[in-house]
Amino acid sequence: MRMLALALGVAQVVCAAGPAPSAWVPVRWPWGDVKSLELLAGTPVNCVLVKAPSAEFVAAAHSLGMVTLAIMTPGEEVSASVDGVVFEGEASGKFPDGFPVIELLPRNKLLLGSKAAVLGTYQGVWPGISADDEGAKKSGPTSGVWIDTNTGFLRALRAWGGASVWIANRPPEKTVVSTTRYLQVIADAAISGARWVVAFDDDLVRRLGAREEAAMGTWKQIAGMLSYFEQHAEWRAMRESGKLALVQDPEKGGLLSGGILDMIAVKHTPVRPIPRQQLSAEALSGATMAVNVDAAALTPEQKEILRGFTRGGGTLLTGPPGWKDPTAAAGSITLEKAELERLNDIWRDVNSMIGRRNMGVRLFNVASMLSNYLSAPDGKTAVVHLVNYSDYPVENVAMHYIESFKRATLISPGAADKQLEVYKTEEGWGVDVDRVGVCATIRLEQ
Amino acid sequence: MKITRREWIAAISASPLLTGGLQGAEAPAGPVSIAKCATYDEDVTAKMAAMFDQLGGLEKLVRNKTVTVKVNMTGSPGQKFQGMALGLTHYTHPKVVGATAALLGKAGAKRIRFVESAWATAGPLEDVILDSGWNLRGFLAAANGVEFENTNGLGKSKKYARFKFPGTAYMYPEYVMNAAYQDTDVFVSLAKLKNHADCGVTLSLKNCFGNLPASIYGDDAGVNDPNEKPTKGRLDVVHLAKRQPAKIAPPELHPGQGLKNAGYRVSRVVADLAVVRPIHLAIIDGVESTAGGEGPWIRGVRVVKPGVLIAGLNPVCTDAVCAAVMGYNPRATRGTAPFRNADNTLLLAEAHGVGTTDLKRIEVRGVPIEKALYRYD
Repeated sequence: MRMLALALGVAQVVCAAGPAPSAWVPVRWPWGDVKSLELLAGTPVNCVLVKAPSAEFVAAAHSLGMVTLAIMTPGEEVSASVDGVVFEGEASGKFPDGFPVIELLPRNKLLLGSKAAVLGTYQGVWPGISADDEGAKKSGPTSGVWIDTNTGFLRALRAWGGASVWIANRPPEKTVVSTTRYLQVIADAAISGARWVVAFDDDLVRRLGAREEAAMGTWKQIAGMLSYFEQHAEWRAMRESGKLALVQDPEKGGLLSGGILDMIAVKHTPVRPIPRQQLSAEALSGATMAVNVDAAALTPEQKEILRGFTRGGGTLLTGPPGWKDPTAAAGSITLEKAELERLNDIWRDVNSMIGRRNMGVRLFNVASMLSNYLSAPDGKTAVVHLVNYSDYPVENVAMHYIESFKRATLISPGAADKQLEVYKTEEGWGVDVDRVGVCATIRLEQ
Repeated sequence: MKITRREWIAAISASPLLTGGLQGAEAPAGPVSIAKCATYDEDVTAKMAAMFDQLGGLEKLVRNKTVTVKVNMTGSPGQKFQGMALGLTHYTHPKVVGATAALLGKAGAKRIRFVESAWATAGPLEDVILDSGWNLRGFLAAANGVEFENTNGLGKSKKYARFKFPGTAYMYPEYVMNAAYQDTDVFVSLAKLKNHADCGVTLSLKNCFGNLPASIYGDDAGVNDPNEKPTKGRLDVVHLAKRQPAKIAPPELHPGQGLKNAGYRVSRVVADLAVVRPIHLAIIDGVESTAGGEGPWIRGVRVVKPGVLIAGLNPVCTDAVCAAVMGYNPRATRGTAPFRNADNTLLLAEAHGVGTTDLKRIEVRGVPIEKALYRYD
């Protein structure tokens, strides 16, 4: 153990010289050979998660400015030279203070409010347009598409503040993932300020290992999408904006995908999640509507804050009597059917309350997309991220917004920034976007 | 046995009318124009202008008039077939809509109102247009006096318009609709060249099924009063006879009679509508479309590229030519393609005296049918 501690001490020095954990761009690395690291040249990836890395591998990674995190299982001995460790589950063993130990936990075990540099989970839905049992897209004659996404969960988690958020779900087993789908998964996390821990499907591992041209092209595009978000670190510092606030307990319903946040997201209504535990008048500042999912869970002080909100002219919608924020069953990350049906009641009320009001931004022709409206702390800049989950580009997207931003710029992966014409609309201003591939961002500036 | 295009046209033109009692020979005839247009990248406006000239010119029809144009925006704009733009599959293409606005404006129309009863909402049609990826500002700039009305409810009007059937209707003695359908001098049906899963084809006549407001004829219409916030379609009332419309509109004439399906009921309502709300100009976008059904929710629907635009002054004649271009006999009866499970709306409208389906009596200008033929089956 002493030897280990000494080695870890060295690792800390190395780590201190490398990027800080908040800047780590992680990938699950399926290879242990030094030569494999050549794939990372020129990419933003700077954090390699690998099983039992050799000292030679770690040294080679250091020489490229990368940190190496050993993927551990409980009881396993740490490889002496690594920069940190990652457990898929709760960590076990003793580590020196300051040594990076990242726990990728089940959602219901996440340590909200802890001082961990990285808050991570291995549980996530595989983002994309939901398919029905027969493989057809879920888009019956009466409804729009449903998009499986982690965005609601990630926003609820990030609303708690603090740590960098990693979502480390793997591709579905025995599935060959298309390039577009990889890009969508990266963007699904990134538009909510989180990072997907890149993980390759088995087929891509094999083909990348053989340096097949098509696989290299896929990897280049994955790296390009990572770069797109990493080149804009300021986006990660922005927070969800808009006139609608959702008061929810992130330790309960907020941990589940497919819940009220995702329902609102599919309607492209900007929403600010406020953890019930952090409910304050300040947190509600600027909101004109609020949804309180679990009225009975509020303390008298919290109830008074919401009363003050309504006295100030805000509209408050509470869940029906007796309705509680759903609690995630062990191992479950989506709502049970009965809870989903009950949540639908709230959703109908929310939908009716919002109507066609512009709660910050309104987007058109975005049925296959999700969006996120984020504002800088000073309010002078905002961005609207768009992720397109279909396999085809979407043309002619329109966005109407209500704050007086005079300049709008379209930022897209691999393309030069483009100034957008801002025009007046009934409710404020509008811009048109000709085409959205997998993702795009509209930056608004005063 | 393979037959040539000319032989096929000759055969369908000579088909006897099998449905007894229909008065095809007495129904009026009007000219129909066909133009080839391989893609929407071609000069759609110029092609449509030439077609209208072949029909005698737009000016005498629309100058100083209010023109209401019923577009085809079937289903939710969120439902795209394989992610394709709606106009490339089951919606009227926005370039055809824009060209129509420009040409109407150029011909002197004083007010050009685009209407549709948008899927499951009575909100502004402008929102639905934007959600469809159409360039709203482009339409507004295409001509003076362009406006929009979602006719799924009262819309901008204070009261509904009543359209009493002059004589004996098939289904309802009176239809109640948004006032835009009454407050107009000229009514244009701007449709898509499509199959319809229940009714066989959906062309300029069937397009006008969308005139009916869901507020009155919708599944969630009020029992007594219209529901001005409809969120559903029109299956229960019109297609399936599960209920009557909101009492602002009279109930059907023969409840309990006839088949309770769209092939029987919708076909008849469409024929009635062609009488109570006459169509002065029918325009059918057949550049790119879908076969096998009217929208992506129909299993087996597929993309087709007939590469044609068709227009006419009589909707029955125009639809008859359209059906022929699609490879069908426009006088086919129930059980025959494309009317496998439906009564032929064209024949039903013909029997109402709206227009003839007899191709021998219809003058086709521009491209002949045999040169425009694109078999949907």
